[in-house]
Amino acid sequence: MFKAIVSAETLTSALDSVSVLVDECKIHLEEEGLEIRAVDPANVGMVDLSLEAAAFESYEADGGLIGVDLSRLEDIAGMADSGQLIQLELDEETRKLHIQIDGLEYTLALIDPDSIRQEPDIPELDLPARVVLEGKDVNRSVTAADMVSDHIALGVDEGEEFFYVDAEGDTDDVHLELTREDLIDLQVGPAHSLFSLDYLKDMNKAIPGDAEVTLDLGEEFPVKIYFGFAEGLGQVTYMLAPRIQSD
Amino acid sequence: MSDWTETYRPTTLSEVRGNNKARDQLREWAETWDDHRKAVIVHGSPGVGKTSAAHALANDMDWPVMELNASDSRGADVIERVAGEASKSGTLTAGGSGRRLVILDEADNFHGNADYGGSREVTRVVKSANQPIVLVANEFYDMSQSLRDACETIEFRDVSKRSIVPVLRDICRREGVEFEEEALEKIAEDTSGDLRSAVNDLQAVAEEAERLTVEDVVTGERDTTEGIFDFLDALIKEEDARGALYASYDVDETPDDLLNWIEDNVPKDYRGAELADAYGFLANADRWLGRVRATQDYSFWRYATDNMTAGVAASRREPKGGWTRYGPPSYWSKLGRTKGTRNTRDAIAERIAEREGTSVATARREILPFLSAMTHHCKNRELTVRMAATYELDEGEVSFITGSGKTTNKVESIVADAAERREERTVEHSGSAFFGGESTDDEDGGDGDDQQSLEAVAADSESSDADPDGTDDEPDDDQSGLSDFM
Repeated sequence: MFKAIVSAETLTSALDSVSVLVDECKIHLEEEGLEIRAVDPANVGMVDLSLEAAAFESYEADGGLIGVDLSRLEDIAGMADSGQLIQLELDEETRKLHIQIDGLEYTLALIDPDSIRQEPDIPELDLPARVVLEGKDVNRSVTAADMVSDHIALGVDEGEEFFYVDAEGDTDDVHLELTREDLIDLQVGPAHSLFSLDYLKDMNKAIPGDAEVTLDLGEEFPVKIYFGFAEGLGQVTYMLAPRIQSD
Repeated sequence: MSDWTETYRPTTLSEVRGNNKARDQLREWAETWDDHRKAVIVHGSPGVGKTSAAHALANDMDWPVMELNASDSRGADVIERVAGEASKSGTLTAGGSGRRLVILDEADNFHGNADYGGSREVTRVVKSANQPIVLVANEFYDMSQSLRDACETIEFRDVSKRSIVPVLRDICRREGVEFEEEALEKIAEDTSGDLRSAVNDLQAVAEEAERLTVEDVVTGERDTTEGIFDFLDALIKEEDARGALYASYDVDETPDDLLNWIEDNVPKDYRGAELADAYGFLANADRWLGRVRATQDYSFWRYATDNMTAGVAASRREPKGGWTRYGPPSYWSKLGRTKGTRNTRDAIAERIAEREGTSVATARREILPFLSAMTHHCKNRELTVRMAATYELDEGEVSFITGSGKTTNKVESIVADAAERREERTVEHSGSAFFGGESTDDEDGGDGDDQQSLEAVAADSESSDADPDGTDDEPDDDQSGLSDFM
């Protein structure tokens, strides 16, 4: 059983943050809220999303699992004006999701969850450095780096205590330093890893400019990026495997 | 019921059957990967366990897997984004030092429209990879030279009957199926080296029967495709009429292609009267193929096939033996060689047809030969220039018709003269058009050049009516002209 009413913004931001990595996903309809975990086809990026029941106008569920085509669902959610409410109801018999936006009714055929890529196990990582910054600073770093290269180095300078972003292109370089004053918080530790900009760009799209974003970093280790949405009732964690630094 | 080939897919390399040497090579490649950092091509017939071995290897090494198989969309962009990224990135659990196994299934099939540019991208990915890559392929030589050179190679051989039987026996025990040993041997024999088919056949038979006996197995015989060369050998040297016809059922060629193959190779072994008979039947077959084309009734194919196989086999009078070097139909290579000439010919014929109001076929068959004869070697220069001007021929085309060399001064000067003549004629034509236009210009003060000549015509007809207002139209003039409204 699943029946919920949610604002268009909340649903769209939840879906957007998953659809940057995968086209289809499984959604766990738990009693306390929604949960989505997915890993991209290349096994390089992972997303873990939770949206508490309190983020919904109303929410009833008893632990089902559905598989959805994200772009379809996003298109439907896009039909709603901002501030409008979207009503979702699962028909257990037909395995279809009834979606209602004002007078508009849409019946979405679901995908067999077994046919969707297996959900990843969330690896336990011990990442020594932590950087907390504003979403718009992430955006600035990624946009600048994208002008010159297809990969980006994120690191923390332990001596001088600042967070840096490096992008080296064939001819041009971009370097950005953010000191303690520019950041919301900084936990110094040994950290320097190279990442694919394609992925970071996609993830960046889902990060709201005013969100408080936390980056956990290590040396040649995956980065963990997390931020809240829907007034803190939703939580997204991205993980991205590092590029191997070739010599 | 789940698919047994999935249920009993080996989870570790030691369970991979029948290819011990290849299996050990694969393991060694993986264990020493950090030293050589090369990709590996695993090739062999379908169903011998190549993909299973790759997955089992990843399991043994505890490497996460990224697989791209033929059911995924595999354009160059997808390969770059997915396989490229996977082969350059570390893992989510261990970061930069973690290994991931990239499996590119059916790597010999990265071509065709959907995969446009795919094979080149694969080579690029392989060369710039920082992670181990296994390319799985059926046909080693269908992959490009540069890709083959960049990789190590491991061949999986067909699984012998001796290795298949124990696998089947094991599955039967685990599924609780009773069996006769001969039944398993029969399955193993029928599938000739294809372990996956053997397991599928076993499942198909076992689902029907309580106890597996040889009789059960006989029902499920597999079609195999026979190579065209083996078929030619059987047709020309061994089989009788019926045998040749049956053998042709297993050949994967259309009757049109098959006819070409047979027609080209029969004279290598047949002599004299028997060859004449064989060609008689081939001619019959060709007539039937013509009927198929004309009527689009493909049921006539059977008569074509009867003639070209049974007919040819029945014509044989002397026993044949030895080995003959059969080759692909020369008709095809001839078509390939003459493509340029035929294109030139058709291009000329099209222009003649348009100009003379005939069909292209008529232009090609009836006009072109006369032109050729009349302008042979440009002897009649004046005529040749006129022809070139009329049909707007270039050097290549003039040389095609006259038989003179394309780069000779003679041909070049003819084309130049023709161009000049054409220009003159254009000026002449437009001159009179302008002239006609000017005469009426004053009356209706027309605007555009092209429009003027049209108006001129319209105005002429009006003035001949001697009706300056133009209110009283000609009785048969249902369609008003544009100038009526100007």
